[in-house]
Amino acid sequence: MDPADRNTLNETMNRMWTRFLPELLGRLDALEVAAAALSAGALSAEQRQRAVAAAHNLAGVLGTFGLAEGSVLARKAEELCTRADGTDHESTRLEVIAAELSSLISNRKEIGSA
Amino acid sequence: MPHRILIIDDEDDIREIAAMSLETVAGWEVMVANSGAQGLVRAQSYMPDAILLDVMMPGMDGPTTFRELRKNPATQHIPVLLLTAKVQASDQRRFADLDVAAVLVKPFDPLMLSRQISDVLGWD
Repeated sequence: MDPADRNTLNETMNRMWTRFLPELLGRLDALEVAAAALSAGALSAEQRQRAVAAAHNLAGVLGTFGLAEGSVLARKAEELCTRADGTDHESTRLEVIAAELSSLISNRKEIGSA
Repeated sequence: MPHRILIIDDEDDIREIAAMSLETVAGWEVMVANSGAQGLVRAQSYMPDAILLDVMMPGMDGPTTFRELRKNPATQHIPVLLLTAKVQASDQRRFADLDVAAVLVKPFDPLMLSRQISDVLGWD
């Protein structure tokens, strides 16, 4: 690929990141809500469904934006939310994953930047 | 003549990134649909060279959409590539039972998506 075209693609990806960031943060919020509810032993079916869908989306998209580790973490969150039955270990694990995802998203560097 | 691709995905970000990637990197023509039902209509009217089809969608999911495409004589010949974030072995076995051209895994590299599709379909 021509370097100029690659730069164009990177710039477009960075613009898309900015544009879709509110949606990504909304999905992260769904995971945090699920983690808190799980910790309180009150994860509703709707919260679980939202969290699974949010994690599934994050798993599919974060790596596309250069955050491969984010996709791996989100996939773990999806599995966890699908089967979680309210143990302390599960809620703690989901809280840790959500915090790690939050950090990755906050600290993402633009594609193509040094 | 550029290849014509239909992308069927309910997630705005994935759909737009894939479309931008195929247009920018490969110069292909892209049509998008945000649901299986819309995809069926657009496949018949647009007659793409290939379809990139998301698996998990509300309403009509990817496998169901695929089967509907195969039932229609107008669209049954169009190669379909599934696009999925499901990577577990049980999911892969389920997809293997479908007569799709390939299963591509999300996340994808926007730089490489067109190459992956070309390799599967034998396009130069």
